[in-house]
Amino acid sequence: MNGWELRVQDICKSYGFKQALAPTTESFAEHSFTCIVGRSGCGKTTLLRLLCGLEKSDAGTILLPEGKRIAPVFQEPRLMPWLNVADNITLAARHDPSLDTGRLPELLRLLELTGTERLYPNQLSGGMAQRVSLGRTLFYDPDIILMDEPFSALDYFTRQGLQQTLLRLYAEARKTIIFVTHDVEEALLLGDRILIMNSGRVQKSLPVQLPRPRRAAAADFQGLRQEILQALS
Amino acid sequence: MPKKILRGLLLPCLLLAGWQLAVTRQIFSPYLLPAPSTVWQSLGELCASGVLLKHLTVSLRRVALGFTISCCLAVPLGILCGQSKRFENYCWLLLEFLRHVPPLAAVPLIILWAGIGEASKLTIIVLASFFPLFLNTYSGIHGCDKRLLEVGQSLSFTAKEQILQIRIPAALTSIVVGMQLALGYSWRALIGAELIAATAGIGYLILDAEEMSRPDVVIVGMLAIGLIGTLIDYLFLLAIQRLFPWHEGLQK
Repeated sequence: MNGWELRVQDICKSYGFKQALAPTTESFAEHSFTCIVGRSGCGKTTLLRLLCGLEKSDAGTILLPEGKRIAPVFQEPRLMPWLNVADNITLAARHDPSLDTGRLPELLRLLELTGTERLYPNQLSGGMAQRVSLGRTLFYDPDIILMDEPFSALDYFTRQGLQQTLLRLYAEARKTIIFVTHDVEEALLLGDRILIMNSGRVQKSLPVQLPRPRRAAAADFQGLRQEILQALS
Repeated sequence: MPKKILRGLLLPCLLLAGWQLAVTRQIFSPYLLPAPSTVWQSLGELCASGVLLKHLTVSLRRVALGFTISCCLAVPLGILCGQSKRFENYCWLLLEFLRHVPPLAAVPLIILWAGIGEASKLTIIVLASFFPLFLNTYSGIHGCDKRLLEVGQSLSFTAKEQILQIRIPAALTSIVVGMQLALGYSWRALIGAELIAATAGIGYLILDAEEMSRPDVVIVGMLAIGLIGTLIDYLFLLAIQRLFPWHEGLQK
């Protein structure tokens, strides 16, 4: 594979006596879409938090090429309640004024949020708030986006809409995406590779070579689904 | 809204009717409890002569000044203690001790040190209003939602940016609620301060009326305190709603 990659080498994490993540070595290629699936407590969120620097690894190294940015989209929107949609999206400009706020209209259009600029978080639906959260990360313009079950609290239709938006973004913005989910179907609809985690370890790495758009009813889709479910059970 | 006002007026009207009845039936001597009409008449006289306005202006000026000093001290100190564990460790014992000493208990010492002029009154107001504001600021800064701080961290915010862009804005509602409380405390403490030694102000008006055996004027003073306190609180609420349109908890 050409281009750069994000490499993690023997990173691990324990909370007291409980090992959340066993020593893990993995790499994520540029412009790849990796989904991490596993049961609750299997260490997938821990891995993500280590990758984006919100937790410190007990050992091992994370190798990110110089100048590459990494940013998460959280499970909940985590919008600043005192800022309107426009200010929430452009939050990163308060740290890095070189970020171009002129990109706001384009981001709003991409996320189907045009016309909501002046609304506050408490005036938004769950789906809109999550889109704003995604917009905030995109505005920061990271090379790698880490997503921690960002659609899990949303209803079926909103979720489907956001999955399509994400695939469109992936195709247009050429980002590297690491997406954590407990939903096997969602992982198969989105990812090019699936990491199956169990008890704090990456149990299996499964490439997904299905053409897009993917249909959950297709036989090869179902075959992969069964394979993942078997690995998880 | 009109229904709420009507319901709110019910108890005061009943109280007024009971008061009138007690006076008419001469349950209390008019010397102890004047009729509502007498109080109304005194209110009119005090307003017309400008006496009430003069005393109110003096009291309001004291509250405004004391409250401003309190804000200047309590908010920065609350922010410092809320965000710096080390600073908090140095301050907590002294502040905890002072918090439990009522300002009125310190009055003799305050008079001894600051005399009976304006300084002593301001000190009492500052002492009374400092802690609600300090504690609200501290808890707003200290209790800032960790998940919001993680957002700042993930966007590479520096420690200074975390405070200025996340902790302080997140604590603003708590600070403003503290201000609202502190203003109420200032107002109450002021009357206490003016009852001790003053030549002007609503507290002085009440004390003077007591010495002149004018319970009607005492009641006018009490009514003025209650009404002004309610009005200040209402104006504060309006300002909060205008300044923080995003905060549901502060909506009317």
